[in-house]
Amino acid sequence: MKLILPKNDLPDQLRSWRKEFTVYLPQKLERFSHFMPLDDANARILEQPHNTRIPPKALFLPMTEALVKFTRFGTYEDANMEISPRIVFGMRPCDAQAVQLLDTVFEQEQYTDPFWVKRQEKTIKIGLGCHVPCANGFCTTVGYGPFNKDGLDVLLTDLGDSFLVEVLSESGKTLFENLHEASEELLNQAKEIQNKAHDAMPIAFETENLKEKIDQNFKSDYWDEVSRSCLGCGVCTFLCPTCFCFDIVDEVQRQERVRNWDTCMFRIYSLEASGHNPRPSRVERTRQRLSHKYAYWLDQIGLIGCTGCGRCVSYCPVGLDIRAMLRQAQSLPFEVSHAE
Amino acid sequence: MPDINALRLEAKRVLREGIVDVVVGFKPGDSPLHPQPAFFRNEDEVEELIHNGLCKNNLANYLTRLPKQEKVGMLVRGCENRSVNSLIVESQKERDDLYLIGVPCEGIIDWRQIVEQAGEHISLVEESETLVTVHTPAGVNSFNRFELLHESCQRCLYRNPISADIVIGDPVANGSLDPVAQKVKDFENQDIEARYAFFQKEAERCIRCYACREACPSCYCAECFVDHNAPRWTESGATPAGMQGWHIVRAFHQSGRCTSCGACERACPMDIKMTYLTEKLNHDMREKYNFECGMDAETKPPFQTVTLDDKNRFFLGGGN
Amino acid sequence: MPNNNRSPYTPMPMRVLRAYYESTDRSLKTLELSFENFEDRKAFFAKFNPGQFCLLSVAGKGESALGVASAAWEGDFVRFTAQKMGTVTKALHELKSGDPIGMRGPLGNGFPLDDWKGKNLVIIGGGCAFSTLYALTKHVHHPDNREDYGKITLVYGTRTSGLCMYKHDIASWHEREDMEIHQAIDVPEENWLHHVGYVPDVVKEVAPSPENAVAVVCGPPIMTKFTLPALLELGFLPETIFTSLEKRMKCGLGKCGRCNLGHKYICKDGPVFSLAELNTLPPDL
Repeated sequence: MKLILPKNDLPDQLRSWRKEFTVYLPQKLERFSHFMPLDDANARILEQPHNTRIPPKALFLPMTEALVKFTRFGTYEDANMEISPRIVFGMRPCDAQAVQLLDTVFEQEQYTDPFWVKRQEKTIKIGLGCHVPCANGFCTTVGYGPFNKDGLDVLLTDLGDSFLVEVLSESGKTLFENLHEASEELLNQAKEIQNKAHDAMPIAFETENLKEKIDQNFKSDYWDEVSRSCLGCGVCTFLCPTCFCFDIVDEVQRQERVRNWDTCMFRIYSLEASGHNPRPSRVERTRQRLSHKYAYWLDQIGLIGCTGCGRCVSYCPVGLDIRAMLRQAQSLPFEVSHAE
Repeated sequence: MPDINALRLEAKRVLREGIVDVVVGFKPGDSPLHPQPAFFRNEDEVEELIHNGLCKNNLANYLTRLPKQEKVGMLVRGCENRSVNSLIVESQKERDDLYLIGVPCEGIIDWRQIVEQAGEHISLVEESETLVTVHTPAGVNSFNRFELLHESCQRCLYRNPISADIVIGDPVANGSLDPVAQKVKDFENQDIEARYAFFQKEAERCIRCYACREACPSCYCAECFVDHNAPRWTESGATPAGMQGWHIVRAFHQSGRCTSCGACERACPMDIKMTYLTEKLNHDMREKYNFECGMDAETKPPFQTVTLDDKNRFFLGGGN
Repeated sequence: MPNNNRSPYTPMPMRVLRAYYESTDRSLKTLELSFENFEDRKAFFAKFNPGQFCLLSVAGKGESALGVASAAWEGDFVRFTAQKMGTVTKALHELKSGDPIGMRGPLGNGFPLDDWKGKNLVIIGGGCAFSTLYALTKHVHHPDNREDYGKITLVYGTRTSGLCMYKHDIASWHEREDMEIHQAIDVPEENWLHHVGYVPDVVKEVAPSPENAVAVVCGPPIMTKFTLPALLELGFLPETIFTSLEKRMKCGLGKCGRCNLGHKYICKDGPVFSLAELNTLPPDL
């Protein structure tokens, strides 16, 4: 189903959803944009190219979330999982793809995370494709693209004074009831925009045999070289839409066991009670981060665990660029495996 | 503007003559807005050395990250020189193991302001003393340099390195103390609700990434108080109590140790202002203890000295 | 895990049945826990097999991953032995009979007992890592199970005799005809009747045959590091050598990301791995 939404009608459309949903979309916070509930007082930021600093994964895996409630008497109960219905509007395809990748972590057959599932069930995701490349993104390099539909219920294409609205799921359908079908001409225009956008994304590094090179060079000096100025903060991982690591701590004063965003880049992440730390320095921790995204995710589900959003490149306090690190990784020695 | 050739020559010399094992400076990054801290270990590598207004890191931070026994050469601006002094006072490095190449500083440009004003796609940034010229696909724009500087640099009191082994470049005029003191007083004069509202508003953006801590030369504790779990001092997550606890306590841990470099604010991905806290403490250090951090490599900060005639009235329950 | 609607992060309510020190220096304490809910107990024993672990929860302190040290047939309780190391284990040591405690489990893969049927078992343990091997041995000893397995050769070393766990049972094992047990301590002690030396050396001395055998090694990293090559030298193949790994854990469900070894999670794909499998994973321990 492909419809047309005139841009002038967008404010009313968003407001009309507010009766039943909390509508999250990128709005101005200080001098950047952030997914927040629709508030007419805030400027909406949907221009191209631009993405929020904190990815919308925060709406599915909150920065801090209570998991269990307990009492002094030692009883436990599930923390509140009730979520009121939400629409996330203006998700970029890289971020939507990332949330879908995270489904494979949180919705496994053996153990399912009820908090994640609840949030997914109650959320309709409306994406906005990128017709202009962003500064540091590389979605096509990792196998995705600026008009990718994975993980979305609806995909919007900016046609200038209107949006093409491609409805991709049942829940998306209910939201756009009074719109006209798109004409052949507009459909072609959209197609052209989408193809052009895809081709305009630069290829940042080669992915062929990248996994083998990473797997087979565990002890290489390469990891020390690329991580030399790394500070070991959590910016890259917290701003990353596919990073999901979390810590679980007991907050006694609130009688809650909570999970908080955590990062493999912190020293204490793998620190054991005995004092032994399998990843004692930035070298091992950088190796873990790059290996997880570009090798282990491939082993686990056959897809690269990075959707090329470019946030880590833009916001690393020391300007480390993962694209350059992976270009450098391509010169590592490797053997194509003959086993399997 | 820094004389890059002279800087490179000096860096090469100290490596060649074995005066240092490594020179810490900057090299071009993979995008025009983000030069990277770099570690040069031979003359060939020094060819990549650069120094410009987009070099946003306090390099003294790396003194506590490099192997202890190494002799380190470092390009230092005003704040970096004072941070180095502060680290020497705290016994984190011996002065004899350092060779400081001083670079008078015209201030660090806030790259996020460039993006705000000229858009994301920047192909080249050129600077002069007065202008920053930005090349984008849409054209070329020039901006007033001072207005693009990071706030800490606009008010900086010590732009010239004070104890470098050599200074390469002409001295730069310093900012004056009065506006700095006035800014603190203006904030203090707001009523408590307004001050707390500001504090809450800034703290609530925090994501506990600790970029501020890792970018700060003074934050080198082997175990930060937030990582301690018996007892746990603050909430660990992005909760109001946790975020506020983090900001307040880290600021206090900087008492007498902060050189107002602003690296913390520049590192923060959420544009949180935190120097207003440390500037207040720096102001108190000046007013109450006549102390400015890092002015030499000997004087200990007031809160790191204990003498037998300290007035410990708060111990004795005497108030004050 | 839960076949009721409880979230996998929420512990089952349990109660401490018995709590007693295992080692003379009081660094090791055994807790035997009973289930508050019949449903939970049923679900647990339906899934449980030796080699699995549970996350024991002390409200307000956190959780600690501990290997299950009892076999299902021993009764309607679950046994753990905890070494006092950090915040949570310190709290576990303070528990007394009747205290409430939370538990999430059984977690992990456990020993591949079906694959081991018909084989001789070489069981090698060191220090407090012996708990799951104890569970394994108890399981195999039961008359219903004993015929499924061949000869048992057991090597158990501790730094001192006082640190030996499950002393009563182990003393009785010396009397059993269906197994060979070799106890060891690091330095000589008066009245010690058994081996003196480190476990890898004792293994070389005992020289168990690899013929139709599997070896399982659980001990401190240093012990494992030297025991695995000793077994290879004796002719064991990597596919027949097993070990149980440990890393810092939080969720126990393969979601928080922390305990990974390459693309495997020790909590979910392990903690039991064969050496053959470990050889395909990065040495990130």
